[in-house]
Amino acid sequence: MSEVITPTTPAPRPLSNKERMGLPHQEMPLHDAEARVKTFDEVPIGYSEEMARAEAMRCLQCKKPACIGACPVGINIPAFIKLIEQGEFGAAAKKIRETNFLPAVCGRVCPQDKQCQAVCVVGRKNIPVGIGNLERFAADYERNHHLQEIPQVGEPTGKRVAVIGSGPAGLAAAYELSIRGHEVVVFEASHRAGGVMVYGIPRFRLPLKIVDEDIRFLTRLGVRFVYNMVIGKVLTIEDLLKHEGFDAVMIGTGAGLPRMLDVPGSNANGVYSANEYLTRIYLMDAHHFPKYSTPISAGKKIGVIGAGNTAMDVMRTAKRLGAEVTCYYRRSHDEAPARSEELKHAEQEGINWRWLSNPVEFLVDENNFVQKIKCERMTLSEPDETGRRKPVPTGEFFVEDCDTVVMSLGCSVNPIIPSTDSDIHVNKWGVIVVDTETCQTSKKGVFAAGDAITGGSTVILAMGQAKKAAAGIHAYLMGQQEAVSATSTTQISG
Amino acid sequence: MTDRVHDIVKDMDPRSVESVTQALDKAKLLEDLTLDEKTCLAEAFFEVFNHAHHTHSSSMPKVAVRAGKRIAKFGPELIPLLFRHLVESDSETAVYYGKALARNGNVGLAYLVPKLNEYREKDHDLINLIQALSYFKIPEASATVPFVLSVSQHVNHQVTSMALYTAGRLAEKLPTSAFSEELRHFIFNTSFRFLSHAQVLVRKNAARTLGKMMRRGLLSEEDEKKVYKAFLAITGRDDHHNWDRAFIVRREAEGFLPYFHQQSPPVRRYTQSYKIVSKRLLCTNTYHFTLDTPLIARKIEAGQFVIVRPHIFSERIPLSICNWDREKGTIDIIVSAVGKTTTEINAMMVGDSFEDVVGPLGERSVLPTASGTCVVIGGGYGTGAIIPTARDVKAMGNKVIGIVGARNKDSLIMVQELQDACTEVILTTNDGSAGIGGMVTDALREVLLREPVVYVLAIGPVPMMKAISDMTRPHHIATYVSLNAIMVDGTGMCGACRVTVGGETKFACFHGPDFDGHKVDFENLMKRQKMFVKEEKVAFERMKL
Ligand SMILES: Cc1cc2nc3c(=O)[nH]c(=O)nc-3n(C[C@H](O)[C@H](O)[C@H](O)COP(=O)(O)OP(=O)(O)OC[C@H]3O[C@@H](n4cnc5c(N)ncnc54)[C@H](O)[C@@H]3O)c2cc1C
Ligand SMILES: Cc1cc2nc3c(=O)[nH]c(=O)nc-3n(C[C@H](O)[C@H](O)[C@H](O)COP(=O)(O)OP(=O)(O)OC[C@H]3O[C@@H](n4cnc5c(N)ncnc54)[C@H](O)[C@@H]3O)c2cc1C
Ligand code: SF4
Ligand code: FES
Repeated sequence: MSEVITPTTPAPRPLSNKERMGLPHQEMPLHDAEARVKTFDEVPIGYSEEMARAEAMRCLQCKKPACIGACPVGINIPAFIKLIEQGEFGAAAKKIRETNFLPAVCGRVCPQDKQCQAVCVVGRKNIPVGIGNLERFAADYERNHHLQEIPQVGEPTGKRVAVIGSGPAGLAAAYELSIRGHEVVVFEASHRAGGVMVYGIPRFRLPLKIVDEDIRFLTRLGVRFVYNMVIGKVLTIEDLLKHEGFDAVMIGTGAGLPRMLDVPGSNANGVYSANEYLTRIYLMDAHHFPKYSTPISAGKKIGVIGAGNTAMDVMRTAKRLGAEVTCYYRRSHDEAPARSEELKHAEQEGINWRWLSNPVEFLVDENNFVQKIKCERMTLSEPDETGRRKPVPTGEFFVEDCDTVVMSLGCSVNPIIPSTDSDIHVNKWGVIVVDTETCQTSKKGVFAAGDAITGGSTVILAMGQAKKAAAGIHAYLMGQQEAVSATSTTQISG
Repeated sequence: MTDRVHDIVKDMDPRSVESVTQALDKAKLLEDLTLDEKTCLAEAFFEVFNHAHHTHSSSMPKVAVRAGKRIAKFGPELIPLLFRHLVESDSETAVYYGKALARNGNVGLAYLVPKLNEYREKDHDLINLIQALSYFKIPEASATVPFVLSVSQHVNHQVTSMALYTAGRLAEKLPTSAFSEELRHFIFNTSFRFLSHAQVLVRKNAARTLGKMMRRGLLSEEDEKKVYKAFLAITGRDDHHNWDRAFIVRREAEGFLPYFHQQSPPVRRYTQSYKIVSKRLLCTNTYHFTLDTPLIARKIEAGQFVIVRPHIFSERIPLSICNWDREKGTIDIIVSAVGKTTTEINAMMVGDSFEDVVGPLGERSVLPTASGTCVVIGGGYGTGAIIPTARDVKAMGNKVIGIVGARNKDSLIMVQELQDACTEVILTTNDGSAGIGGMVTDALREVLLREPVVYVLAIGPVPMMKAISDMTRPHHIATYVSLNAIMVDGTGMCGACRVTVGGETKFACFHGPDFDGHKVDFENLMKRQKMFVKEEKVAFERMKL
């Protein structure tokens, strides 16, 4: 761990940029890799107040901060960091909440290394400011000290909005809409709210209590949740608008349809999609089998295919269930799409890596259980006409033992809603088509955001779009012709 | 220090806009400054650079730029001093040193260019030098771009990003005549290659440079097309639908898209109790339940199913519907105890509530397309599950023959209900204790001999559905089977229910559950159903303890 600089208060004079640039980065303290793979407890310990202030001092408070522009919801990053530096932790959290209502989630799961921290000017010569860690710190401080305030909700408008899905997109839309005075009902297909945040992202990255706290907060705001409602089946969107008295609908159903490799043995026993593997564990508690009756074949040697966030999550989960885990990815380490922190943590936890390896067959025993995985070695091509480097086969193969395979190849959009409400148009990949300004779909009064309109992406992008959609819905409901822009017009006041 | 300089320097507060402005105004009036005097003034103004970002006044950065201009006016003698500070400064302050240096025009450039080579291995210093280059407004600056772009590749990605940034900025600010055909092509090629770099910041700045070049008309028609294609790929708008994983790269590319076409940018009602309102024994281990689920009852159609979770520790299991009452808001299910969850359900009593019931799920049954004789066949809980479809098929004006099979007379279930839904019902028992002695396939064979059949639906154990499909295949009779794959969510999210139909992978929960029996790979289904035998046994054994 790096040295902790305790700010001397009151500071005699402001630190110069040069002095700030010279301050050591406060490394996030982690639980020891060996101990942590035995539990599902959260891996990072979190900054202490001293560390948070020391890290906050590294921010140069740029006049034209690049970081804000690189944040999908435009959090005023230098402003909240300054508040942390000054020891105003609660105020810092409040500042973040002006634009992001899930700070504790985002501080933990956002790909900061591809967003704000990638452009931070401190990063040019040094490690960038730990924006994500600071966001997480502020949000945790707020939660632990019960500083969260219920904001002033707008005058009731008498309008009712149905939000479909309770992932980040649905929750953010519900928040934005209820704060503007609309009545919001969230319809969720599963028996739990939170979407991927509860049934995908592991507890050791995002403890359940954090998501539950945010959902409780929404309930306090007056948002109502209905579970076990698969919209499109039990009620169509047409029903919601025509018979159920809703004035608008917001679709936040995510990208739930797992993509599977189409190779011999893909449907063998012991071959799971990442969604199935993670859902069995995090939604159905299969790791507490047989107390909870949902089974998961334990797996001594697990092969995971893919190297995105989801793959890292599967591998680290499997590790915690005591398996030996190997990752097979057809490109190289540098192209791995996972958050760099996740990749690093997975590396620490002792995953075996087979880069540039493309599975071509799963070999099975007489009862159709997987036994071996056969891969072709790949190499990367020169960039093609779209500037991408493609993995190309080398004709060389290898075979390794495994008793479980988990495919983590991303998801397409679930077609249930578009198939029952055919006036909601989708493009050829099944993604719901929306107006880029208002997020309205091809059906009047129906809006969409999140993975449902992008295919798999990120929590923060889903939230950013949901805010845009909420603004679009608000404008629609209030009968305005011109939809307002993405920027939130809500004020959080005490 | 001379008095005239001392006067200016001593009163100046580098954090105050007024004070610095005053000092600058005074310094402007001085003539014939010596090198010492210039140095002294410059050093004082450097303090302004250091504070430019740390005052509350938003005009401070502007004043710092003005101070830089004044220093530049002192002439080339101060270039080495400026350079030294530039190298040492942090990234934000480097802006002012860079701008001051750039104000020295050709002389400044001539000083800087050899230094680039000198510092080529020192990445921390090189980055500020490259940044400084971006502020030059003389056409000659463009000539440094190829060197900068190539040297930066060997250091680290932050330097590469800065080099791309500089190339883009120069492309934007310098007259287009500063870029020869050859140079344009070089910058294009290099930047284009960087679009596939592993580091997001490099990709972002590569996209930025290419975008700026496009906007300035620096790209050939052919190159512009390539960039357009690449930007479509980055933003996920092309056929591959494989966008750049980094938001900042996508956003950068997205911002430029409109400019490719010279266009303006393109434009208590829901509570269900899940309560058991009635329960009756059908045969050993098999019960019939009626559940209060008004929303599901209102919507359900023949062939659809529900997923239930009896209590919070349970598995979610799929169950077919054998009847419903839209007015009363109830659905009827049949549960045969085969393992832990089904045994637990059968232990529940009237008045107990399920934790969750989700539905209706799946597609409704496929109905016959030709009219004529139709056969519905059930085994086990399937005897109930075929009733709603039988009713629909009969309502279409068809003759419906129901065939049910069981081990013996006592295991025959739902006979009365089936008779109500069908034109004729044939019973089969393995031991011959009722109806025809034998299997449902024996009864079907007789029907096929007797009359032409246009449609068969079979729901029951997999071997039964397989035998029926095999029997109707040579007759080309449309045959549907309901696949009871293992499921979790029932909405297409997990893929547990994968089945192979006609060589393709389908999800039984939402492409089905009914499929064309002639295309189903029953072998795979049977094997997949045994995926958790070991675990199921453990669960069941534990339960009995
Ligand atoms: C394992 C995993 C790890 C990830 N890690 C990260 C990470 O580290 N950082 C990051 O930023 N992103 C991560 N992501 C991506 C991120 O979780 C998603 O981009 C985000 O959750 C999308 O939000 P959403 O609201 O659009 O959809 P979801 O979170 O998928 O929520 C959709 C909700 O809608 C419900 N629903 C679906 N259909 C219906 C229907 N017909 N009727 C009613 N309800 C319905 C679903 O049950 C679900 O609750 C990860 C994803 C996975 C799977
Ligand atoms: C679309 C559909 C409709 C169904 N309708 C009904 C119904 O109306 N009534 C009813 O009683 N059952 C029905 N089933 C089957 C029912 O879901 C399973 O019997 C149940 O999941 C077994 O759970 P368990 O915990 O009691 O047994 P487990 O302990 O999980 O399994 C015990 C035994 O049952 C077998 N089994 C497990 N899952 C299934 C399955 N999905 N299908 C067949 N056998 C299985 C196992 O191989 C094992 O031998 C249906 C299944 C599907 C997919
Ligand atoms: S870019 Fe970095 S240094 Fe500048 S304001 Fe943002 S976090 Fe602070
Ligand atoms: S049950 Fe999960 S996809 Fe069918």
